[in-house]
Amino acid sequence: MSHAHVEGNTIDHLERATLEGKNKILGFWIFLGAEMVIFGTLFAAHIGLRGELNGGVSGAEIFSLPIVAIMTALLLTSSMTSVMAIQAMHRHELKGVALWLGITVLLALGFLGLEIYEFVHYVHEYEFNIQQSPFSTTFYVLVGCHGTHVAIGIVWISLLIGQLFKKGLTVVTAPKVYVASLYWHFIDVVWVFIFTVVYLMGKVG
Amino acid sequence: MAHVGQAPAGDQVKRSKGHEGPRNHLITFAISIILTILAFAAVSIPGISKGFVYSLLVLMAILQVIVQLGFWMHLKDRGHFWPTLAIIFGALVVVYAVASAVFWIWFV
Amino acid sequence: MAHAHAHGHKKRYTGIMDWITTVDHKKIGILYLFAGLLFFAIGGLEALFIRLQLAYPMNEVVSAQRFNELITMHGTTMLFLAALPILYGFFNYIIPLQIGARDVAFPFLNSLGFWTFFFGGILLNLGFITGDGLPDSGWTAYAPLATEYSPGTGMDLYSIGLQLSGIGTLLGGLNFVVTIVNMRAPGMTMMRMPLFVWTAFITSILIVFAFSALAVGLLMISFDRLFGGNFFNTAAGGNEILWQHIFWIFGHPEVYILVLPAFGILSEVIPTFSRKRLFGYTSMVFATSIIGFLGFMVWAHHMFTVGMGAVANTMFAVATMLIAVPTGIKIFNWIFTMWKGQVRFTTANLFAIGFIPSFTVGGVTGVMLAMAASDYVFHDTYFVVAHFHYVIVGGTVHGIFAALFYWFPKMFGRTLNETLGKITFWLLLIGFNLTFFIQHWLGVVGMPRRVYTYLDGQPGWNEMNFVSTIGAILMGVAVLLVVINIVITLMKPKNAPADPWEDGRTMEWAISSPPPEYNFKQTPLVRGLDAWWVEKRAGNKEMTPAEPVGPIHMPNGSILPFIMSIGLFIAGIGFMYDTLWAIIGGLAVLVICMILRSLIDDPGYHIEPEEIEGKGVKA
Repeated sequence: MSHAHVEGNTIDHLERATLEGKNKILGFWIFLGAEMVIFGTLFAAHIGLRGELNGGVSGAEIFSLPIVAIMTALLLTSSMTSVMAIQAMHRHELKGVALWLGITVLLALGFLGLEIYEFVHYVHEYEFNIQQSPFSTTFYVLVGCHGTHVAIGIVWISLLIGQLFKKGLTVVTAPKVYVASLYWHFIDVVWVFIFTVVYLMGKVG
Repeated sequence: MAHVGQAPAGDQVKRSKGHEGPRNHLITFAISIILTILAFAAVSIPGISKGFVYSLLVLMAILQVIVQLGFWMHLKDRGHFWPTLAIIFGALVVVYAVASAVFWIWFV
Repeated sequence: MAHAHAHGHKKRYTGIMDWITTVDHKKIGILYLFAGLLFFAIGGLEALFIRLQLAYPMNEVVSAQRFNELITMHGTTMLFLAALPILYGFFNYIIPLQIGARDVAFPFLNSLGFWTFFFGGILLNLGFITGDGLPDSGWTAYAPLATEYSPGTGMDLYSIGLQLSGIGTLLGGLNFVVTIVNMRAPGMTMMRMPLFVWTAFITSILIVFAFSALAVGLLMISFDRLFGGNFFNTAAGGNEILWQHIFWIFGHPEVYILVLPAFGILSEVIPTFSRKRLFGYTSMVFATSIIGFLGFMVWAHHMFTVGMGAVANTMFAVATMLIAVPTGIKIFNWIFTMWKGQVRFTTANLFAIGFIPSFTVGGVTGVMLAMAASDYVFHDTYFVVAHFHYVIVGGTVHGIFAALFYWFPKMFGRTLNETLGKITFWLLLIGFNLTFFIQHWLGVVGMPRRVYTYLDGQPGWNEMNFVSTIGAILMGVAVLLVVINIVITLMKPKNAPADPWEDGRTMEWAISSPPPEYNFKQTPLVRGLDAWWVEKRAGNKEMTPAEPVGPIHMPNGSILPFIMSIGLFIAGIGFMYDTLWAIIGGLAVLVICMILRSLIDDPGYHIEPEEIEGKGVKA
């Protein structure tokens, strides 16, 4: 019989109530440190090589700032909604958590859809693919790595929503929700640097 | 062995202390939006020198990241010594690597 | 402390299935140890062939291509598949015992880390079986040799196999960081941790940040090789120096990852066999931390001759020389520990003491190399080969053998044969000095690295190379003796006491050899540095407990890590041979296993007090 079902909403921070939960949260922060190095190295390569166009197109020519602005708005808002999900979790409101996480996923799908459209557009219009130049390679690997992280997050959070309905908000599921939200904020933090360094600085030249 | 989920004896039930509600988080959201708009504006307004725009963009990004890390990811809260250390060490490694790359490829 | 679990059942596996599904840190430690020793033997065979080829001028033992493959595999195998896994074996087994924990923070991840490392190692060595070509661009895989000029699948084995193996190492590092931060027994503050735990901690932090950089670099190589990327393609404007920077941003911390654990091992072995506490604990902790931190700031000393300019060269030269200071502090502290102690020359202590002059020689030549101007003479000669073999064999390998002899009784319940051990030590000492000391001269008179043969008539080259090869053969015999020692010892009955060296200072010596499945009947209370020594001085026969006897929660084993690693292995082969079904199939296996793990809650099982009291629980 499981004792993990919370009675009476008395636990303040469900995700930290157990040693396993604390371990998961600290472990995830360490993982985020590693992710910083991963993205940082990709940024270094992009910054170093973005001037090499190999006769192809530059960022200033192809980037569409309005689309990037919309994508930023979507992702930023989805980060906010994931905060609301955690707030709901601290109030022990399962439906609230599921609702806010669901909105997060929808916004993320919008972001991903726009990014896929963007990539397909570049390939069709400018033959701007991985092989064109060092600039294109570093662009696709950096931004694509971020996009892959978004896609993984979408699958992860969707499965989490399903789990919440099946198992409820417990000391086992709460750390999962908290960690997923940390992941999601980190994705947004990386995007701040991407739109700044890749798109905005790329547009300036 | 303690069982999770039973209310402690008496009426020492902890009310959600320190949960000021979403206020700080909404402020962070607002700051992020403003910083983002400023960054896009800096790029769209003609006549500003490139170096100045770059510095502005970096500043906006760093500020936005700081508030998001601090508030949304709770780094400023109690019990986040090791996470903060992990982020700072990661940042040091990244800054050193990125700065070197920028320096060697663009300025040498 | 509340635990989130229902009351589950123990899944009973036996035999091979037990080892494949285990999440117990002790078993995983043993798996790492034996896998590492296996790869160590393979790497050693590769070294023997290298030395055999170089024993005579214009020799024809192997072809040039084969020689390039041998040096690449020797370096890659020794560093990634032998040294680090063996150290992980000791980390895994000993750290929870030394901090009073029952397991590491993430037992499932621990198993996953081992199996991904193992299958990555198999992938890396697959060329021996497929005959399709082995990696041949050096363990440093410089572009564009590794990208444009190595068609075929050899270097794909490198970039993909090492990527897979690296994931395992990363997971392990993450595990140890969280374990050491969160799972110390009550009373064990950071400054009461044994030094082995401290060095493991700093090493794990280095692993988390350094291996991530390597992962990105390998990804870039894979993109250039498999998808027409232009990271390092100079014709299109790419920059091959970028690879060097990324690789060495990983590569320099990597060598500290290899040596810091050896420092930690020394700090355990020397005090025990001097019957005296470690001299200067606090300074040792700070020295280790500084070495770890500075280790990220010196990578370009591998690139002095690439053309970064005098300013950059100077900065990195100075930073590199700085690291010698905390390292020197450590050397002096070990010597001061032995001073006026009652020193016992057991095999473990012989290796530990042998480390001190051997590593110092390597460290000193390191400072010589750190001077950018003189490095222009030494770079790419055998002087460099001599330097790093002195620090790795004189350092890490000595540490590994010291740890092996020291902790073998704890891990396997029998003590290795001391006579054989001492012969091994002397053979290794003589052999390794014979092989590598003479290589300092060889480098200074101009023999370059990575050449598969040399002309006759060069001054002294024939004699020096020949002597070097004799030394290598002696080293091979020494390693063989270790293997024989292990085999015959494992055939003896398990009769080692809890504290076989009688002077154990740390908590692993407070429990039986080998420990029971749950390590500590009751979580111990730590009352000072050298927690077990404190209890012994107070006249206690056991650690003071910090909790009453109660049911002990244990995790269940799982087959998923093994299957996930196979999935990644298959996907890797798919990428290499451009086989879509393998890529999709392998990744699908991975994803499905991850989802299963997340959706199915496995609450583990309990060991009840009645089972514990009678000491009836199997180890």
